[in-house]
Amino acid sequence: MGGIEAEQIGINAMSDSEISEFLRKNAISLSVFEVKKVVELIGRNPTLTELYIFNTQWSEHSSYKSSRAVLKALLPTQAPNVILGPVEDSGIVELGYIGNERYGIVVSHESHNHPSQVVPYEGAATGVGGIIRDVLCMGAKVIAVADPLRFGNPNGKNKNKVKYIANEVINGIAAYGDAVGIPNICGDIYFNDSFDENCLVNVVCLGIVREKDIIHSYAPKNAEGYDIIIIGKATDNSGFGGAAFASLILDEKNRESNRGAVQVPDPFLKNVIIRASYAVFEDARNKGVQLGFKDMGAGGIMCSTSELCSEADFGADIDLGRVNVSMQSLPPYIIACSETQERFTWICPPEFTKTLLKIYNEDFELPQISLGAGAFVIGKVTKQQDYILRHNGKIVCNVPIKVVTQGIKYERQKKEPKRSFKEPNLKEPKDYNKVLLSVLRHPNVASKAKAYKHYDTSVMGNAVIESGYADAGVVKAVDGSAFGIALKTDCNPGYCRIDPYWGAVNAVAESMRNVAAVGAIPSALTDCLNYGNPEKPEAFYDFYEGVRGIADAAKNLFLKGTKYPVPVISGNVSFYNESASGNSVDPSPVIACIGILKDYSKAITMKLKKENSALFLIGDRKDELGGSVYYDMNNEIGAVVPIIDFEKERNMIYAVIDAINAGLLLSCHDISDGGLATTVSEMILGGDADGNIGAEIDLGFTDLRADKALFSETSGFIFEVEEKSTEKLKTLFRFYKINLTELGKTTGNKLTITRKNKKIIDLPISELKEAWTKGFAEALE
Amino acid sequence: MKNPNIAVIYFPGNNCEEESLRAVLASGMDGRIVRWNERKGIEKYDGFVIPGGWAYEDRIRAGVIAAKDPVFKVIKAEAENGKPVLGICNGAQALVECGMIPGLKDKVEMALAPNINPFISGYYCTWVCVKSNEDRDRCAFTKFTEKDEVIPIPIAHGEGRFVTKDAELIQKLAKNRQIIFQYSAKDGKIEESFPTNPNGAIYNIAAICSKKGNVMAIMPHPERASFIRQLPDIELKNNSIGDARAMESPAPAMNVFVSMKKYIVN
Repeated sequence: MGGIEAEQIGINAMSDSEISEFLRKNAISLSVFEVKKVVELIGRNPTLTELYIFNTQWSEHSSYKSSRAVLKALLPTQAPNVILGPVEDSGIVELGYIGNERYGIVVSHESHNHPSQVVPYEGAATGVGGIIRDVLCMGAKVIAVADPLRFGNPNGKNKNKVKYIANEVINGIAAYGDAVGIPNICGDIYFNDSFDENCLVNVVCLGIVREKDIIHSYAPKNAEGYDIIIIGKATDNSGFGGAAFASLILDEKNRESNRGAVQVPDPFLKNVIIRASYAVFEDARNKGVQLGFKDMGAGGIMCSTSELCSEADFGADIDLGRVNVSMQSLPPYIIACSETQERFTWICPPEFTKTLLKIYNEDFELPQISLGAGAFVIGKVTKQQDYILRHNGKIVCNVPIKVVTQGIKYERQKKEPKRSFKEPNLKEPKDYNKVLLSVLRHPNVASKAKAYKHYDTSVMGNAVIESGYADAGVVKAVDGSAFGIALKTDCNPGYCRIDPYWGAVNAVAESMRNVAAVGAIPSALTDCLNYGNPEKPEAFYDFYEGVRGIADAAKNLFLKGTKYPVPVISGNVSFYNESASGNSVDPSPVIACIGILKDYSKAITMKLKKENSALFLIGDRKDELGGSVYYDMNNEIGAVVPIIDFEKERNMIYAVIDAINAGLLLSCHDISDGGLATTVSEMILGGDADGNIGAEIDLGFTDLRADKALFSETSGFIFEVEEKSTEKLKTLFRFYKINLTELGKTTGNKLTITRKNKKIIDLPISELKEAWTKGFAEALE
Repeated sequence: MKNPNIAVIYFPGNNCEEESLRAVLASGMDGRIVRWNERKGIEKYDGFVIPGGWAYEDRIRAGVIAAKDPVFKVIKAEAENGKPVLGICNGAQALVECGMIPGLKDKVEMALAPNINPFISGYYCTWVCVKSNEDRDRCAFTKFTEKDEVIPIPIAHGEGRFVTKDAELIQKLAKNRQIIFQYSAKDGKIEESFPTNPNGAIYNIAAICSKKGNVMAIMPHPERASFIRQLPDIELKNNSIGDARAMESPAPAMNVFVSMKKYIVN
């Protein structure tokens, strides 16, 4: 054990209640048990800086202390197409070969729930900022973001707050993404009252990298004596304790003090840093220089520098006095742990340091762009595996580096909560026109254009299918090749409330259906697991069941053409999503599916293309309306959620992909929220709600009561096929043993649905449009 | 003559420089992205593109600080020598703020005010149509665009509403034939109402050129509508589904860049 020169806190001499009192006074969230564990691990009393370090490193957010064992035991993270599993800042899945070079898609998926509830605009904006850093630091070019959002009930008792938060979150995402210039290509938005006091703001980011150009989040080989360089915004006290804050239950009373834990976004500075970093990538590549690069997120300089060195079995010796700060007299623990935005750490061989500093400080003039910003050498990588921080000539932290980074683990108890859901006994509606219009107007179904048209969806010029036009967004991967990348996020909170396992299975299956519906092969998954307090056995049970559901779905919906799972390559766990009154959000394992098109030009949208083409349905309709929009409109939740038959689901997905890639489908849309009637209506309208081809549907294929047939959310697809393609199509679906149901045809300028020779729905397109385009706007107003 | 060489200027905060360069290259010109602080020698370029984004964070007002950047002195001088200058979105805002557009007096005559529409307040990204308002030879950027031709093109801005305090300016611009593109319906009809006019711009103005026609400020993004692939869910694109080569072929807005080349070469 090395020397320590700063004052040590006399933990050993304190009683438990004195330790508690000390922790409370210093806003440290560690438990008394954990503080004693620190003393044991380092073999002496800690300094205040060291305590804050463990406070961050052992927070749920940073250590995954409750979730790690479950994730490790259950989730499939390996498959032949995985270049990098969930071990660094982002996962990487193979895109394919271009020439002789293997390319990877870099993916990261995070939450920024608590900050967004407290300061929604900044919270959502810094969520985008953070995820971009995670992808960029792999040496990747950042090409797309997506935002799954969950808000409270816009018509409930907290409606004003809910609307305020929803609007501010959308504004924050827009402001950040628009300014850095990364297109927002998809997302999903749900409203329900479980999110009244705890919104969910998740964010997904994609990047592209040549496999040989990947920069890792650890020091390169033989890095002893390499420079530790931080770049970006001058460090201040913002976001101090952010990771610990993310691991607490939100209490409205602490709103003001919690604000300080939220970071301040600066997308303008980020815009310049991204471009400067691309210049560093290129220069290092040309010179064959090996570097380590890591985002500064939770835990700031401390977390970033310690992990970079520890992962490569080195230590670090850092002088906090060399950190560029924008506030004077910051104590060492704030400089070390503040979560000031727009910063990264490089591990750089000394002979390249001058070049790297020049790129940031002179070529891109960071010091002129933002006061105090720039690139600064703050320390050295050491052979001795200790983590040493110096401040004002004193050593304020000196701990074995593995002790800093190893984290802590808990075995949490799980207990199945009592659930008493039952199916309602609804009378058959008399006016189906009215019901369909209400479903289309439901904020969970209605067009989200008012959100995504506030985002920049076409910047970078890489768009193939922008937000809203299809089930997934599609971008072209690389100039000079035809590869396309599809992305979609999913998770229906209602299903998960009723059944956390099948809710998670459905989230995975739907995300795969969504990328398949544009013709892309589901190639990897990410999960952002948003749950309540893991110390409560009921909440932990829901979490466990969710992970089990994801794992089962991923393992059973094989990577197309193999028996391997669709791998989970990145993710995040967000616990403590509950209000002070103890209400947890609906279990929300939000899934993102990354799909790959070998030829993006095959991708299709959901809008009907031609008159008199046939409409086919796959996926039999079942009485599985638990958690459906239809039940919700009737103030019911139900009990029977859609159950996924893995073999059938797999074959449906494969058949749709093959059909699209063979050019047999004109348009395609998966069946989900709002059921079959909604799917057809959305195909008529198209993403811009400017469609002018109607449809005639006959429900003769099913014995279900009409409301169940029309609004059941059992998985399936509807697609449009020209007559000349129907024979080939039938052969293809026979091969996959999937029942093709002829549903009707495209015609006229209205939607008619017939049951036993009686028209039960007869609506002009204009009325469908009115309902579908108004519902979401109304929820925000 | 050697191939035209275009400087796509990156001011800190711009974010459309890469796709602008891609369109420049695809139109058959050479070019590179030039940082704001690399201005030494930029007078050697044959033309300039000021791309979209948020130059200098749009501090004070969109485009104001960029317009005061020393780079603009050079660009202004080169424009007076007849070199083409294309300002897209934030670049258009800068051209207006430095007085190059409409350029009738040596001062700022117009502004790009916050959008007004009933749908989204602030930043709005959507596909619209613009109609070419003048004959092909009127300006450096429409040599392949027929008068009255309608072009699909996206907008992505919060402050794109052309306005002026000078009541007679619009008549002067019309008389000088400086109004190059107007927001229109798909069939070319000029309607002042939303959604045809997405931001409330006076006279549906989407693009204005200088009196000589070698400088153009355009709020929509031609570089995001230069390849069939980039188009939204419309027939022009849907006819190319399954044909990767057709998807990478030029969409109508590419003519802005092809025309720039022709203007320089001629």
